[in-house]
Parts: sequence; structure tokens; C-alpha cells
Amino acid sequence: MEWSIADSSPRYSVKLRDTDGTLTLTDLQSDGNEQPIPNISIRRDEQAGRLLVEVDGSARFVHAARVGDSWWIHMNGRIHVLHGHQPGSASADADEGGLSALMPGTILEVLVKEGQRVREGQTLLVMEAMKMEHRILAPKAGEVLAVNFAAGDRVDMGATLVELGD
Amino acid sequence: MIPEWMVGAPRPFDSVLVANRGEIAVRVLKAARESGLRGIAVYSDSDAGSLHVETADEAVHLPGDTLAQTYLNADAIIEAARSTGAQAIHPGFGFLSERADFAQAVQSAGLLWIGPPSGAIETMGDKISARRCMIDSGVPVIPGEEIAIDENPDHLGVLAAAAARVGYPLLIKASAGGGGKGMRAVHEPKMLRTEYEAAAREAAAAFGDGTVYVERLLTGARHVEIQLIADKYGACVHLNERDCSLQRRHQKVIEEAPSPAVTPSLRQAMGQAAVQAAQAVDYEGAGTVEFLLSSRGEFYFLEMNTRLQVEHPVTEMITGVDIVQKQFEVAAGLPLGFTQSDIGITGHAMEARIYAEDPSKGFLPAIGKLAIWRAPQGPGIRVDTGVREGDDVTVEFDPMLAKLVVHAPTRQAAARRLHNALSDFIALGVTTNIGFLRQMAINPIFTSGGITTDYLDSTSPSDFSQTEPDPSILVAIAAAASRFGLDRAATGGAQTSTFDEHTGHAGDPFRTLSRSFP
Repeated sequence: MEWSIADSSPRYSVKLRDTDGTLTLTDLQSDGNEQPIPNISIRRDEQAGRLLVEVDGSARFVHAARVGDSWWIHMNGRIHVLHGHQPGSASADADEGGLSALMPGTILEVLVKEGQRVREGQTLLVMEAMKMEHRILAPKAGEVLAVNFAAGDRVDMGATLVELGD
Repeated sequence: MIPEWMVGAPRPFDSVLVANRGEIAVRVLKAARESGLRGIAVYSDSDAGSLHVETADEAVHLPGDTLAQTYLNADAIIEAARSTGAQAIHPGFGFLSERADFAQAVQSAGLLWIGPPSGAIETMGDKISARRCMIDSGVPVIPGEEIAIDENPDHLGVLAAAAARVGYPLLIKASAGGGGKGMRAVHEPKMLRTEYEAAAREAAAAFGDGTVYVERLLTGARHVEIQLIADKYGACVHLNERDCSLQRRHQKVIEEAPSPAVTPSLRQAMGQAAVQAAQAVDYEGAGTVEFLLSSRGEFYFLEMNTRLQVEHPVTEMITGVDIVQKQFEVAAGLPLGFTQSDIGITGHAMEARIYAEDPSKGFLPAIGKLAIWRAPQGPGIRVDTGVREGDDVTVEFDPMLAKLVVHAPTRQAAARRLHNALSDFIALGVTTNIGFLRQMAINPIFTSGGITTDYLDSTSPSDFSQTEPDPSILVAIAAAASRFGLDRAATGGAQTSTFDEHTGHAGDPFRTLSRSFP
């Protein structure tokens, strides 16, 4: 299994050693490059979803839960999401140019056309979801390759709204 | 059976139907149970397994796919009360809570309405008539102008002329709006059309009415509101103020009581104005008068919410008054039982609204399953919620998952307690604003009490981003959790605690929780 933090690169892979139920790290790679191995040991706790994690001799409880291919981790008062990938699988970044609907809703207004150049932060379209209007902004400067919906269209979660090239 | 505290009341009742869902339905149903009343819930298809249904003594299914068929269906709700023998209806907030016709229909059906008289709802529910009523009764209002858009074909021309008279920056408000919906700021004339259209659309989508008016936008102002409670004998007492200045697009983020900006003399003046506003509409029950407090200490009437409010717990914490219990009492026709001089302030309370939303993606609502949901607990911590571990968060309803309320002797201590409690809030499986709230709780402008209503909207989201921890630690934990098969462990329902019989602590007493990495 390879891991990435949220949607960003790089991909990490690890090797674990199991000593009487305590896991330690024996190898850590980032995009195939060897990395320094942190001094960490992890034990399973009796409470569901909880781990006892020791880093450099300091211990804490960590909660973890898997939803789909992601692991949600609560550690030191913060929540993190890690994505699991099959080794060698296509990079999640392959479709990075696509802007997908984060929730189902209705397109209210399309403000860009195919072929148009947009700057970072420019409003591409306005959609309504949960009775509120949301502006979909360009995450980077680039050229609009495709606009897949028109005003009034209903969109499902995950639908690619706009495709953005360099 | 009538509970003992209600014996001899002019309008006794033994049961209450809660015409709502989620967190507020749970709150009111629990209060009903504590008061010795039978609590009846209503629920739509997707809420069949919800916490509010579990909390009720009895629940009635409302068939249908839309809100209009379910939680907004006045006839079906009144019929549910009839079929279960419920004697009173509590509307919660949102949904039918500020619909005068519903209040009227409930009473016409021979049921007790736990809320203000329908006339008060009507006057205050329309921003234009509310404003007129406040001017007549001597309560200060913000400079502004009302526009009957619906009756005029040249909407934009009329709007632009009114906007020019009021002056920029201004606020366009849909008359039927609320909760930030149908309200837009316009900073310059060329944005007037775009923002007007957005406001009208939002209001039409949420409330089915597109009338608007414009008023001057006061920058650098605070949102301070006064909680009121009135009985049928004309007694009206204010329960001090709440400060809700930390807002994002007019949606409250963290509320607190008392306000760091309100002095005792200002409190008295605002309290008096609020009581005056309530008495102008013969108010009865719990209500809130919202004011904008300018940086120069002048206050202006914003609106009156003729219902229980989301942030009512902070007032409960500092005054010791259970507002929902008081609603039951005054609905039964009992006198308030206290006067203004009985109301004091003990310590400081803060409430953070936990939303299923993604601050890194423009606060878009998020959905998913609450794989792990463990709310913090401890002295001075209260969590009002409508969800539990294993529940699905969907797009159907408001994305508020819970209200985390803390109470401490001082404001500083309350902010620290809030930060700690947010750190201990374990909500995995659905993206929430917990991390953002946690940042806010230690934000220096917030902790110094200097937040104004425009703060969040004028601050770049990247100012709230945090330094990421060592990724290798997180990767090791994910890999270990995967190896241990944590995903195959039962996470729902009964949580077996590793309570140590010898030490009385959970887990190893020598281990510490939440210790930062060196």
C-alpha cells in the first residue's frame, strides 16, 4: 500500500516490523526515495479505533478510522486524512485539472467559456447546494478546456464541472 | 399526567410534539423528559434512525421526499399531534418556527403553541414591518430604505436610486431572509446587480419570497443580541447579551456571553431597548433582539428572532436559566418567577458550531459517515448534538452537527477550555470545521475580544492554515492501523472503555494524552 496526505504528492511506502503486537518502522520511502526512519512504535489499544503511539519516547493515544480508501487520524488535537493507493496505481494527480462538484446541487451560473484563460481565484461558476450559493474558483491560472454543465443543470457529487489546462 | 410543577397552571399540558429534527429536536425532547412531559418526535424517511427519534417517547413518520412534504408540512404535523394525543407543539428553530400561519393553525387545532403570539411573529418576521414598528416604539434602527421590488417593474433602477440615497457600502437583505440566506454586501455600485440577483435567488430558494431592502453596512461593528423571556402577565426580563461577532457570510461561528464589548451601563441600555421592542409586539415566550453595536458604542436594531436561538446555551450557562424549561412554563401560563434584578452573570460561556464543511474548500458542506464521533467531556463542557457515531451526514439538511459549549470563570479560561475541548473532539469520516474553530479559539484578535462582524470575510483563509506535522508519522500510523485491521473492528454502538480498576483512569495513568511532539 502507498500513502499520500490528502490529495497532494508524494507517495509514501513503509515497512513495518511486528514485535509481540508492537509495530515499528523499518523502512520509509517517499516516491521511491529512502527517508530517515522516525523513532515510532505503535500498539493497538483495547478501545475500538484507538492506537497507542510512542514517538521519541513520548506516548499518546491516536484514533484512526477507515472510510473508503482513506484513513482518518486524530492525533494531538488535530484531524488528518491519508489516502491509500495500490502500489503502481495511476497517480491521483492525473486528473488534477478537473474541478469536481464536492456535493450535489444545481448550477446557477457559468461564468467562463471553453478556450478562455482564467487567473487563479477567478470564479468559474456558481452553484447552489444546501440552499446556499457557492462559487467555484479556479485553483490555478490556466485555460478552460471544457465546461461540462450549463445553468440550471443538476450535478451529482464528484461530477467534473470544468476542466482546466495549463 | 400533568407534571407536579404545572399543577394549577392556567393552560396545563402533559405532552409536547417537537416539529423539528437534529440537534434542536434532541435538546427540546430531553428538556421535555426532564420536565416530566411526554415528548413526541416527527421524522422523514431519511431520519428514521436519527438520534431525535431515539430521544422521543413516541415518533410519527412524515411521508414524502421534500421538506414541504415533511418538516414544513403544517397539516401533517398537526395531524401527528392529534394522533398521538400531544397537547402542545414546540417548533424548535428554522422550519416552521417563525411562521405565523403555523402558530395560528396549531392554536386553531386546539393545541398549545410553545412560542410567541402569531401577531408578534408576523410583525417581526417581515424585516420591513419590524423596522417600522421599532421606529414607532423608539428603538434605534440602521439608516436604510425599504423597497417593494415585487410591485415595480424597474427593479434595478429603483434599487440603484435607493442604494445611492442610503450610501455604500450597503447590505441587500431579502425581506423573508434569515440565517445569512438572502443577504449580500455591496461595496460599490457596479456590484449592485450581481449581488441583488444572488440575494433574491437565495431568498426565493429558501423562503419562496423575493422582496428586498437595502441598509447601510456598518463596518467594524459587533453583533450583540439580547435574550428575552416574557410571560402572559406582561413581565419581560432580559437574560443579558450574547456576542456573535465571529461570523462568516452572516453565519455565526463562535458565540459568547457576556460580550467583551458591553459594559454594565450599555447592557442596561440594550436590555431596556430589547424589552421595549418585545413589548411593542405584546411578546410572550423566549425571543432574541439582535443589535449591531458600532465601534463608537451606538447600537441599532437588526431584527427580532421570535423563537429559540441556536446559541441559547451560552445564556443558559451564565444565567443558570434553562430557557426551554422556561418556554414550557410560560406556555402553561405560569408567571416568570423572577424579576430583572434576579438575573446575574456567572463566569463566561462560549459556543462553537461544529459544521460538516471544509474550510480549505471555501467552507463547502461535506458529507459522509461519522466513523468515529467522540465528543469531549469534562467540567464546564456541554455538547448539544443530533448525531452519533455511525450516522450518515447527508446534503438534505443543515450541515450543523453539534454545538460545543464551554463555561469557565473568566473569558480567558473559557477560550482555553474551548480550545482544549475542540482538540479532544474526535470526529472522523466527515470533514468538519473543528480544526478551523480550534485555530480561532487561539486567534489573538479573538482572545483579545476584538472580533468584529467583518473579520472572517476580510481575512484570507490561508491565514488560518496550520503547519503540517511530520508526514512520516502519519504514514506510519495509517499503515499500522491498516495492518491491525482497525477498519474491520466494530466502531459503532457500545464503546468498551479501558477503565483501569486500580487507578480509576482510562488506560495507563502514566501515559499522557494530547502531548505535542517535541
